[in-house]
Amino acid sequence: MSRMLAIAVREYLAFVRTVGFWLSICLMPAGLLTAIYATSMSAKVAPPPNVAVVDMTGGNYAGPLVEALRHPTDRTLRPAVIVTPPGAPFANAEAASQALRPYLAGETRTPEGARLDDAVIVSGTAADPSLDLWTRNIVEPQLKIELTDALAGAVRRGRLEASGLSVDRIAAIDAYQPQVAQYSPKSAAGRVSAADNLPAFVGLAMGFVLYALTLTGAGILLNSVIEEKSNRILEVLLTSASVPEIIGGKILGAAAVTVSALTVWATVAGFGFFGRDPHLLTEILGVLTRHGLIFYFALYFIGGYLMYATLFTTIGAFCETPRDAQTLLGPLMILLTVPIVFMGQAVTHPDAPALVVLSWIPPFTPFLMAARAASGPPAWEIAGTAAMMFGLTAVELWIAGRAFRTGALASGRFDVRLLVAGAMGRGEGA
Amino acid sequence: MDAALKLQGVTKRYGAFTAVRDLSFEVKRGAILGFLGPNGAGKTTTLRMMLGLVTPTAGKLEVLGETDGRALRGRIGFLPEERGLYRRMTAVSAIAFLASLKGVPRAEARRRARKLLEDNGLGEAANRQIRALSKGMAQKVQLLSSIAHDPELVILDEPFSGLDPVNQQGLEGIIRGLAARGATVIFSTHVMQHAERLCDQVVLVAGGQKVFDGTVAAACSTAARRLVVEGEFAPDALAGAPGLTATTAEFLDGGRVRLTGQLIPGAPVEAALKAVFERNLSISRLELEEPHLHDAFIALTEQGAALGLVARSALDVAA
Repeated sequence: MSRMLAIAVREYLAFVRTVGFWLSICLMPAGLLTAIYATSMSAKVAPPPNVAVVDMTGGNYAGPLVEALRHPTDRTLRPAVIVTPPGAPFANAEAASQALRPYLAGETRTPEGARLDDAVIVSGTAADPSLDLWTRNIVEPQLKIELTDALAGAVRRGRLEASGLSVDRIAAIDAYQPQVAQYSPKSAAGRVSAADNLPAFVGLAMGFVLYALTLTGAGILLNSVIEEKSNRILEVLLTSASVPEIIGGKILGAAAVTVSALTVWATVAGFGFFGRDPHLLTEILGVLTRHGLIFYFALYFIGGYLMYATLFTTIGAFCETPRDAQTLLGPLMILLTVPIVFMGQAVTHPDAPALVVLSWIPPFTPFLMAARAASGPPAWEIAGTAAMMFGLTAVELWIAGRAFRTGALASGRFDVRLLVAGAMGRGEGA
Repeated sequence: MDAALKLQGVTKRYGAFTAVRDLSFEVKRGAILGFLGPNGAGKTTTLRMMLGLVTPTAGKLEVLGETDGRALRGRIGFLPEERGLYRRMTAVSAIAFLASLKGVPRAEARRRARKLLEDNGLGEAANRQIRALSKGMAQKVQLLSSIAHDPELVILDEPFSGLDPVNQQGLEGIIRGLAARGATVIFSTHVMQHAERLCDQVVLVAGGQKVFDGTVAAACSTAARRLVVEGEFAPDALAGAPGLTATTAEFLDGGRVRLTGQLIPGAPVEAALKAVFERNLSISRLELEEPHLHDAFIALTEQGAALGLVARSALDVAA
């Protein structure tokens, strides 16, 4: 035990004394804050789009369209600056598009000296208008939706007026919003509130945190073992400690590194939430402590970490260089995109058959079960998936105990036959 | 004999390949054993079996009275052939860490590490990272890390390789010091001079089999003595001299010649000397050279080759 602890302490100190560790400690919160604020900041500092509106129907649709462009309901859209269509008036929609095209292509500037970003051409009849949107940004879908809603609203109002309804009456009808309430037996108060959705998002966040920490910790171990293998330190370690002590010490040390990082990040995040919304922090802590959810996450974190740490440590013992490791880990990393894809679905469809089935596959279990936490999986499912996960980990540890020595004593490039021989107890050291 | 190490019919096979075959020898406590052999002779595999890193396929192996080397990790010190330490660790931390794994309390391990470094001229490098040390210094640190826990048995795999002559001499001193305090030292080497100066016993293996086990003197006696004659005479001046075989000639400055002939084992030296003097040669040097361990190594390895124990290529390396 003391040897395992000595190896764990060395492993921990070796990593926390590196510049990379402190950079990652500092950069993670900085990156998170940047990700949160940069999007809104970049939208705020971006120049507003210059839009020309041409209405050739005589239905006076320019007004509602300009209003929609100046005050978009979608917050991702920047309020537009409306410019006079250069070259207007036009004979028809075709002539308008031909005339405005050079301005949209950036070949010509408007009389005001501006670049034209979008042109809205409404043609057809007042009763049945059609809208052509010319735009420089073809990947922006929201502007088209906004204009469609504005034009549809204007046409509807026109038709209602034509059928004899007053303007006030139409406005009153448009202003109507039904009272809709959502109820669920999973909600403590019966009626679903925003706080009831929090566990789903906390579960998703925990799934991603487990994914990042597990693979980070396992990656630390992999590099550490490769370094020891290539520097021939493993052979000396094997004459000083047993294989379980070496593997256990290394796993413990790397776990301490990840827990240290997690503690710092959680503290920073806690202060961040407290600064913005003290109530939200209380809610999140409540979600974690309610119904023992924190133990649920701890169960899958420990299981997942042990499973991947043992695997990566054993693989490291067979690799002289990171390139050797990449050969082995490449297919595994492709496989590990599966939980990333399905974790997002766990928020809206936590009990979808595909998610339930995938949760029983041990390599995916810790991440998907964490993401499904809010749905409250039944106890038998928690026990079963945990048993599968720890069962695979036990098998891994058994194989690692046999294969690790073979890998550590072998020299030369990675050979899969050596790995199999080691696992079967027929390799070096056997 | 109070044996520190006892091997009886030890064999190690990897599939169809036999790395070590029916190896038996003993080493008494406090002795220095040279474990010699050409490349691929099975030395490292044998050392790994002693350490419990590799399990023998057959035979019995007893280390310090135990049959499993892993049970006495704290009593054995080991320096592997391919050296390596944690590059970012300081010298003192590296030694203390490995000593602590061997059961030395942490504070005591650091105290011993500092003392060992100071005693071996590395006091100033104690707090320098391994990556900042020269190769020789790093090797010395690794050797010190293998003995910081005062082991009863020290196994050194090619300890002299990569060291300059000064450090080689220092290492010889350390090995003698270990034996003087009662430790048993086993080391493998290709450099016969070290084994000749240090060893109480040498074991030579070839092709995984033992070809010699005994004292240095006994090993040397298996090689022929040489008669060296220098002077101004014809290169075939000693042709047909009794008791001499395999005579070679070298041409020296000033028209002189050096003839070196091997004395046939068991033949009287006097007959060869008498033949030299009877031929009235102009001799400037006459010397009877005793064989060294190097000669014995070559001779014994050649015997092994003759028996099919060692490949010819390995013999070339040994020469």
